[in-house]
Order: sequence, then C-alpha cells, then structure tokens
Amino acid sequence: MTEQAVSNDDRDASITDPILEVRNATVKFGMDRGESRVLDDVSIDIERNEILGVVGESGSGKSMFASAFLDAIVDPGTLSGEISYYPDSGGEVDVLGLTKSELNQFRWEEIAMVFQGAMSSFNPVRKINTHFVETLTAHGDTVSEGMERARTILSDLYMDPERVLRSYPHELSGGMKQRVLIALSLVLEPEVLVMDEPTAALDLLMQRSIISLIEDIKEKYDLTIVFITHDLPLVVDLADRIGVLYAFEFIEIGPANELLEEAAHPYTRALLKSTPNLTAPVDEMRPIEGSAPDPVNEISGCSYHSRCPMADQRCEVEDPGPYIVDTDHDVHCHYWEEASEAVPMPNDGSGTETGSPDSDQPISVQTPETRPRWAGENPVLSLDDVEVHFEATQDEGLLNLFTDPETVRAVDGISFDIYENDVVVLVGESGCGKTTLGKAAVGLERPTAGRVEYRGQDVWEAKETGGDIPFEDIRQSLQIVHQDPGNALNSYRKVFSSLEEPLVRWYDDLDGNDRRQRILSMLKHVGMSPPEDYIERYPHQLSGGEQQRVALIRAMLMNPDVILADEPVSALDVSLRVEMMDLMLELQDMFDTSYLFISHDLANARYITEKTDGLIGVVYLGKLVEIGTPERIINDPQHPYTRALCWATPELLTETDRTDDSPMRKIDIPDPTDPPSGCRYHTRCPEARDVCREVEPEMVDSGTDETHQRAACFRAQENHEYWTSESIVED
Amino acid sequence: MKDSRGPTDGDGQPKAADGDGQPKAADGGSVNSPFETISDIEETRRDRYRKRYENYVYAPFSIIWDDWRARIGLAIIALYVFVGTVGVFLVEPTTNLDGSAFIQPFETWEHPFGTDRMGRDLFADTIHSTRPILIMMASGGLFTVTVGTVFGTIAGYKGGITDTVLSSITDVFINIPGLPLVIVLAVMFEPRNPVLVGILLSIAAWAGLARAIRSQVLTMRRESFTEAARAMDVSTSRIIRKDILPRLMPYIVINMMNATRNIIFSAVGLYFLGVLPFEDQNWGITLYLAYDAGAHYRPGALHWLLIPMIAIIGISVGLILLGQSLDRVFNPRVRARHRNGEAEAEGSEDVEADNTGMMKQV
Repeated sequence: MTEQAVSNDDRDASITDPILEVRNATVKFGMDRGESRVLDDVSIDIERNEILGVVGESGSGKSMFASAFLDAIVDPGTLSGEISYYPDSGGEVDVLGLTKSELNQFRWEEIAMVFQGAMSSFNPVRKINTHFVETLTAHGDTVSEGMERARTILSDLYMDPERVLRSYPHELSGGMKQRVLIALSLVLEPEVLVMDEPTAALDLLMQRSIISLIEDIKEKYDLTIVFITHDLPLVVDLADRIGVLYAFEFIEIGPANELLEEAAHPYTRALLKSTPNLTAPVDEMRPIEGSAPDPVNEISGCSYHSRCPMADQRCEVEDPGPYIVDTDHDVHCHYWEEASEAVPMPNDGSGTETGSPDSDQPISVQTPETRPRWAGENPVLSLDDVEVHFEATQDEGLLNLFTDPETVRAVDGISFDIYENDVVVLVGESGCGKTTLGKAAVGLERPTAGRVEYRGQDVWEAKETGGDIPFEDIRQSLQIVHQDPGNALNSYRKVFSSLEEPLVRWYDDLDGNDRRQRILSMLKHVGMSPPEDYIERYPHQLSGGEQQRVALIRAMLMNPDVILADEPVSALDVSLRVEMMDLMLELQDMFDTSYLFISHDLANARYITEKTDGLIGVVYLGKLVEIGTPERIINDPQHPYTRALCWATPELLTETDRTDDSPMRKIDIPDPTDPPSGCRYHTRCPEARDVCREVEPEMVDSGTDETHQRAACFRAQENHEYWTSESIVED
Repeated sequence: MKDSRGPTDGDGQPKAADGDGQPKAADGGSVNSPFETISDIEETRRDRYRKRYENYVYAPFSIIWDDWRARIGLAIIALYVFVGTVGVFLVEPTTNLDGSAFIQPFETWEHPFGTDRMGRDLFADTIHSTRPILIMMASGGLFTVTVGTVFGTIAGYKGGITDTVLSSITDVFINIPGLPLVIVLAVMFEPRNPVLVGILLSIAAWAGLARAIRSQVLTMRRESFTEAARAMDVSTSRIIRKDILPRLMPYIVINMMNATRNIIFSAVGLYFLGVLPFEDQNWGITLYLAYDAGAHYRPGALHWLLIPMIAIIGISVGLILLGQSLDRVFNPRVRARHRNGEAEAEGSEDVEADNTGMMKQV
C-alpha cells in the first residue's frame, strides 16, 4: 500500500494468465469543433476465464472500449495502442495488426460480441434459423454440426430450440431475442465474449434471469466474459472484477466485493450511493452533482476533479496515476485513502449485514403523519374493475373470416384509488399491461369495461354526454409524462414552443411575454440555467435528463391533479435517477399533484413511495396481484410474484448475503392472448398447488392497522383449501 | 439545484395573486411558485410580428442562403418572377411583322432572341409567356399540395370513418388515368384562365401525395408527443399544424417542387398537342407553332424551338435546386446549428449514437 504511482507494466501483478492485454488504447474522433478522445490511454489485462464487469455512465466511452477489442471502431475514429490476444494454444496475436480476412476469422471465433438493442440486431424478414446458418457459413463451419451446437446452447438458455429456430424475430419477446443473440455469439465457440449492455432494454426480472444464465453458460463453455453496463448493482454479483470507467478512462479496477465494500475512488463511492436499491435508507441516496466532461476539452489533472468533494489544486494539475490499494485493486485518485471519510457510505462501520432485507433494523420510514389512506376520504381518481382488451387485428383477411379475432387482455379487472397528494407505483414485467392500465387511468385509453372516475365523475361519460365535471377540467387534471423523453418532445419544436403549448391552451389571459417569463422561471426552478439559453434549444441539444425535465414541466404547467409517469427514469443513467425522482417529488409538493408512477424497478418504486408514504402495486398479466406500503411489499411480500421481483432487483450485497436461486419456474411470461386459468402466476409460481390452476384468488387484506397490504394469493389466507391441495411443482 | 427553491428570482414578480385555478405554494407563503410568474412588460403587436418574422422569414432564409444550390435556385426563380411581374411592363408585347422573319438570336440588339416566321420578336414572346406559365405553376402546385396535405393529414390523424371516406375519395382519384381525364376536361371546359388550367392539370396529381402523407401521419399519431398534446387537450387542428406538419414539410416541399415542374411539362405538352385552347402567348404555344412550321428540320428556324425549351429547362432546374435545399430549412439540427453559429456543440451523444448505429451493422 504505497502511495506511489506505479508504471503500467507491473500494475496488474495479480493477473497470471491473461487472455487479452490492452495497452494504451486510445480512440480519437476528428470533429468539427476539434479532436475528441473517446477512449483515453486505457490499459487493462483480462484474466483467462474471469468475468470482468465494466461500469460507466452513458458517454463514458464504454462502447468504444468494447469495439476496441474487435478493432471495430467506426470510420472517422482511429484506434491506437496495443491489443494482444493469447489463445489457449499459446502464442500471441496482435489484434490491431491483423489483415482484413484474419480479422474476420478472429471476430466471432475468438472474440464474440453481444450488442445492446437485440431488436435491431436481427434481420426482420429472416427466420432465426437463417441467422444461425449464415453465421456458420460465413465462417466456413459445418452447418449441421454448428446447428447441433446451436440447439444445445438454445436449450441451455431455457428456450425451445425447434420453436425458436422456426420463428421470425418479431415473434420472440425482447428477452428471448436477447438470449438468441447470446446463443448466436456462442455458436462459433469463441473464447471471449464481450457483452455491451446486453440487458439494458429488458425489465429487471428478465435482466436478472439472463445474468444468472450467463454464469452457467460461462462455466459450461469455458468463457472469458467482459460485461459492459451502466448499472453497477447488476454486475456486482456476476463479475469477478469490476472496472469503473469515467471520462474515457478507468478510474478504479478491483475485485467486485472489495469495490463494493471499500471503493477507493470518490466517484465509485458516489455512484454506489446514488443507486436506488431496496435496502439502503432512502435518505442516504444522493445524486452526483455536476456532469461528465466533454470529450473535446482536454482535461488537465484528474478528470473527476470538477465534481469531486475532496479535489484540491493537485487534482487540477496532476493526473493521478494508478495507486495500488491491494494486490489486485488499483485506483486513480491522489487521495483515495481519505475517500471513505469524504464520501461516507451508509453501511460503513456497521459491516455487511445491515443490508439484508430480513435484518431487524427497520427501513427508515418517514413518520406516517398523514392520512391513513384506507380511511374514508374521497379519492381523486378511482378505478373500478377496469378492463382493456385489444383485438389482435393483424390476421384480418378472407381466409380468417370465420375465426374469432384473438383478444389480448392487457388489463383485466383492476381496481385501485389515488388520493390527493398520493403516489401509487405500478411495478411489473414488460408486457404485463401496466402502461395500458396507466393510460386508461388518465383517460387516454378507453377501457372496454369498468369505470374510471375522477372525483366521482365517470371520465368517459363526461366526454360523451357531459357530467357534473366538464370533460375539459378532467382532461386538464390528468396528465402524462412518457417513458422515452426523446420521443415525448417533438424534435421539430424548440423547448419554448413545446412548453408554451399548455399555456396557450389553458391560460388565455397570458400574453407572449408572460408565457416566456413563466417558462423561464420554471426552467430555472428545475435547475436548467441559464433558461434563456435552454428555451431556444431543440430537444436533440438536451441531455436525456434535461429532456425529461422539460417533459415534466410541460405536464406541470397544466396544473394537473394526477400525473401518469410512465417509467420516467428508466431511460436515464443510474446516477441521475435519484435526482430526477427528487425533482418530481419536489414539484409534487409545489403543485399539489398525485403521481401514478410506472416502473419495472422495485428499487425506484421503493425510493419514491417511501419518501411520500405511497403504495406499490404489483401487476402481473393484466391483474393487480398485490398492493401495499413499500415496507410491507419489500420486507414481507405475500405474493410469490412480488417475491420474484424483489429477487430480481439488483442489490449492493456481497456474495454471502445473496440468494441465487430464481424463485420462478419459468423465465418467460405466458402469452397474454391466452392467459393461464385460475391464478395467472401458477405456471411460474414455485408454490403453486392444484387449486391455483382452477380458482382465481381474491384480493385479501394482510396489512395491519398502520400498514396497508392486499394480495391476491391463497397463501395469504390461513384456512384455505390451498394448504391441503396437491403441489403442481415438478422438478 | 437542491436549494433553487428560494424566493423567485428578481426577473418577475407575480402580479396576479387572485389566481383562479393557480396552485398555492404547498409549504406556506414564503415560497413564490415559479408557476405564478408573470412578466411586467406587456407584449405589443410589434413584438409578435417581430417574432413571426424571425421564425418564418429570417431563420429560413438565413439557412438556405448557406447552400449554393439554394442560392442558384433562388436566383433563377427570382429572375423568372421578375420577368413575369416587372418584365411584362418593360417590354412591349410583340406583333406580327415586328421585324423580318427568322432573324437569328443575338444578330441584332433589337431582337436579341431573333424572330419567328411571322417576324414576331421571340424575346418579347418569351417574356410575355412567363407570366401565365408562372400563374399556372403556382396554382397547380398549391392545389396539389394543399388538397393532398389536407386529405392526407386529416385521414391519417382522425382515423375511423373520416379516414374511410377520405381514403376512398383518394383511391378514386389515384385510379383515374390522369392524362386522358385532363384531355377530356380540357376539351369540355376549354379553360382560358391560367389558374384554371393549373388546377385542371393537377386534378389527379394530389391523390398520390395524400396517400403517402396519410401513412406517415398514421405512425406519428402513435408517437408520445402527439399523445402528450392530446392529453393537454390541444385541438386536433393545432396538433396537425404545430406537431405534425413541420415534420412533413421536407416531403411536402419536394412534392410541391415536383408538382410545379409537372405542371409546366404537361401544360406545354397539352398546348403542343393543341388540346388546350390558345389564349395568351406561352412557351407551349410557341413550341407548337415552331413545330408546325417545321422548325425542327430547318436550321434557320431552330432557335424558334430552342428558346422556349431553354426557358422551360431553366425554371425546372431552378425548382429542383431550390427544392433540394429547402428540406434543410425544416431540419431541427440545421436550424439549431444555425442559431449558434457553425461551431455549435454536437455533444458526445452523437458520437455514441453513431457508434451504436455502426455496431448493429457489424
């Protein structure tokens, strides 16, 4: 532990048998406004058969790092440095010196890559089978042998190979596509697998399932895996070592557990702290102030100094070389030894067991000073047995004239209430109908049955025949913030023009200058300054977080009673999520609104409900299966599906505290056109018994006087025939 | 950002405290919600006009002026418009026996483009032809684009029964054979007014555009930003005008340019065939007369054919150049860069975006 910079050559002393050596890899792009370095002098060794996690925010150069392995930097970019590959058979391959045909052999056969966005990696007009055959023939492999391998890999990934191979890409769900992509990259039996955000587009349950598959796959096929992600908690239980990328270089590399417990770089510590999770007290979660540096501006000294709480003059001038924390733990910070004091972690000092959900120390809960929500008070928005069924119409045609159209039961009989200043978070997998339910709740999707009432007035009745409350008022009161901020704002309109819209529509008495003034002060309020500059921008000139703020302000300017926030933070970097949610809550205070928040992430749901004393509702296949206060849902889930969601939420726990067994029997969600009978979860439930197949469970109360919890599971009822029924779980 | 909720900054004190429907600050009176901010300066009519001028005149012109194609195109079109408006007053209309027959171009300055068989001055003839042709083009082009866009956007956005009705009408017009219909109508009505001729010639041209626009609007209707606008109860016509049309404009502009070019070609063609009645001079009639007189095989009369042809090609090229560069006007990236000068930061996101785009292709 000397506080002395070491040279590159002997830094990775712990690596005994490297499979890849990267030395001084730099990627440069010439741009109009100067040269930008998107990978800055990166050196790293990768041990044979290890899983290396690479973590970085968007724009930190992690995708560049991935393509550097394959020498696949896109054209204006240039890659310099040295990348050596050591095959099993011995010898050394200089990756950057390979000819084009050698490179073709090298890619996929030695190093394969799994890209993010499985949706666009397939040719939509070709069957999955063709994709495999093409890959095999392109590399001169025997097709029959190769397809045999493909089938094995597919079934290892818990898919039915015959069915999958016969399908077109659009017939597979997102999670299945991603798994097929993994299979496709393994079919040529590579030694190294580089995965670039392979799960970013998936919901947590699927993410977690794929992560646990990756571990098995790695063992079975003897792989070295480089796993690149923005989501630190996701990789900690997968990776052996973790490298943290910040501003195009590694700032810390170390064993996963050590990084988690004793992160030495202030950025890593801040990142750990900013990540919403299920166990840390919500008040301890803090966003990272400031933003990452621009690749064009050459930064002198430490790249993090502008955001670092302990930066001093030395950090501004001197680039921190790697300091050795431990034999296999390096950090690029002059003052790493003081980092633990400057950026304290919530579980510092109290060891590791603070984290576990069962610990008797209760999660810090704000005093429930406000209304016990289940005591009478009129709800703002009330959903009563709402159903939204879609008819799948693509099969129209002469031949199908006599077949019944298939019905997708997106929402199938859900009831809940939203009160003044309330927050209800709906969680569930993708495809479970939570967005449709949300849209039905704010009057954007017409329910096929059931009632949506705004302060006692049926919304659709008001629209058609008029009612006590004019539809205009209802429309104004129910607003939406979309999931993808890039699409929620019209890219052809300036920020000002987009924000002006609600004012023009609803506040006739404001003239142009008033509108401008009001928009300026709102922008300033949410921290976008100087606002005069921001209002003249187009959406593409804003970052994701800024776009989302503009979308949020736009909804707020309507002065609504309820805002449907459809996954408002899932498109943002992990470190920005807490900040965005804090902003939403602050605006809630100011505008007296309620949120109907949709998320697939139980950690976000917990953060927002615990701060506001709201409810979490768990949706599965169009049904509300459990609803309750966060501490009940997370600490004592009644429904097995809720338990599965808790399991899927990445935790910042060290290995010993973690359970790895999936509490589900199947990875994939059943087809919503043909939902299972009885309890819809019985096909995946580890506790399912005979009765679950036939009888649909009712919602039963299992909360206490101070807490609220209702679940639709027989297990929540003590004297139910379930307990005497036969188990249908076969092993 | 955490502490930004202090009293509202000095740039606007709330002046209307009565606030119907305005929220009160949740935590007591100490906080002025930025939502109540109102400017103390009244907006004048002049301000509004200035803003419109900046958005709709100044910005587009300064953008296309950067593009050499646009400059040339604009110059060509401006020349034709000048000729068609001012030129007709500067140059006397020609009559038979203005000069001797078949004077070659540039032989005398009295007849710079030469004369035809009857001794009519081709320079004056060309200039006086410009006006009716321009009117024809403008009316035909506007008709095509207006009807096509209105049908397309409404059918696409409204859906349901409106869509069925409008789409059926569109389909009928798509399936009518255009040229025979125009010939029949021209013979029946003998239109002499250039506006009417223009509209007649584009009677079947708008339907294709309407179809294409409808399908684009169909996808836009499902986008989040139109849903957000609907949630704000913005009227349908405003959504179409403000959210949808700007995104269609590049396509519409290109179509407008093509439609106008088609008008010249078919007008000239029909005059040449003698289907349309002769009224004023125009290039089509000149071509017809020249052909009739056998100008295509008499070397001394060749210029009689060439001059109207060059006039037609000239305006067509001008329209193409202008149309190609006009789509830049609507591109938000170009507009944004323009506002802040050429060196506006594109940000590292673009690199990232390009990068992922590439990776999918690997």
